[in-house]
Amino acid sequence: MGETNEPVKINKWDGAAAKNAIDDAIREVLTGDLKCNESFALIDGRLSLCALAVGVALYALLWDYLYPFPQSRLVLIICVSSYFILMSILTLYTTFKEKGIFVVAKEKVGNNNTRVWEASSYVKKHDDKYNLVIVMRDSTGKSREASINKSFANYIDTNGAVVQNIVSNEITKLYNSLSSEKKEK
Amino acid sequence: MLDSVFDDVKRMNKRQFIYQVLSFGMIVSSALMIWKGLMVVTGSESPIVVVLSGSMEPAFHRGDLLFLTNYPEEPVRVGEIVVFKVEGRDIPIVHRVLKLHEKNNGTVKFLTKGDNNSVDDRGLYAQGQLWLTKKDVVGRARGFLPYVGMVTIYMNEYPKFKFAVLACLAVYVLVHRE
Repeated sequence: MGETNEPVKINKWDGAAAKNAIDDAIREVLTGDLKCNESFALIDGRLSLCALAVGVALYALLWDYLYPFPQSRLVLIICVSSYFILMSILTLYTTFKEKGIFVVAKEKVGNNNTRVWEASSYVKKHDDKYNLVIVMRDSTGKSREASINKSFANYIDTNGAVVQNIVSNEITKLYNSLSSEKKEK
Repeated sequence: MLDSVFDDVKRMNKRQFIYQVLSFGMIVSSALMIWKGLMVVTGSESPIVVVLSGSMEPAFHRGDLLFLTNYPEEPVRVGEIVVFKVEGRDIPIVHRVLKLHEKNNGTVKFLTKGDNNSVDDRGLYAQGQLWLTKKDVVGRARGFLPYVGMVTIYMNEYPKFKFAVLACLAVYVLVHRE
């Protein structure tokens, strides 16, 4: 936690760690250099689902403690079934709504128009290819997307630090191409 | 070394950290809800128990895992293996029903004995208690899995080991991202 700017060392063959580090770098570019506002609605949705599920479990635990088992049967049935329903909703939410999106950023363009940028990434198991997809949605609801598929080695130097310049260049390139395409149409 | 372990945590933003804590909470809750779900399905307050003593040999050995049910409509019968609680004892006992008296209104009182013990259980019951009743029963043995419970026994015999294992798991889950 916290805003430390010291370079972090990661093992680029640890897929998850490398992915997280590059994701963070891209978020920084979108919300920093490109001056978009991060929108937290998507991740907050997931967090509230998780919190609700944990809350239900805690409630069941407390109720069962206060009114030992045979009495607490009805409450337990309700809690257990709603917990597993919440878990399936959470799975559906992460697979169909989030789809690996790690940052949603809103950008104001001109008069009352906002564009929404969504960046999602995935890495196959035991693979060094970082797949990035950026989707831009304008206020009319049209969307355009672009993607890059490059090895971790492109973004991470030999010391294990993410090279912010390279990430920034790549994202700015995508950003510009998606933005200009819009003008052509 | 320890510093690098917490690197992941230091790099997280507020929401990532909350998610990390919540996903740890969900691992614990899932286990808890499965347990509570089993309680509801089997009607027993402790649907799975570990045999701790050799008093039921050769039927059950130390370390066997027992699966219990406790449906109120099923009557207790002589020869069945019941798990019961005795006042003042933390750990329930697994023994066989030896004698049973049933009244017309359905209430029962019964006496138990371990297969491997030479005397019945009156000495184990609370002071002055001669019979067990339905409210003492945790469940009746319906199935067993040999040896699996040894892990639990070792964990309970070496509590420090247990806490070390649990602490390591907790730290790993909390510190590692996704």
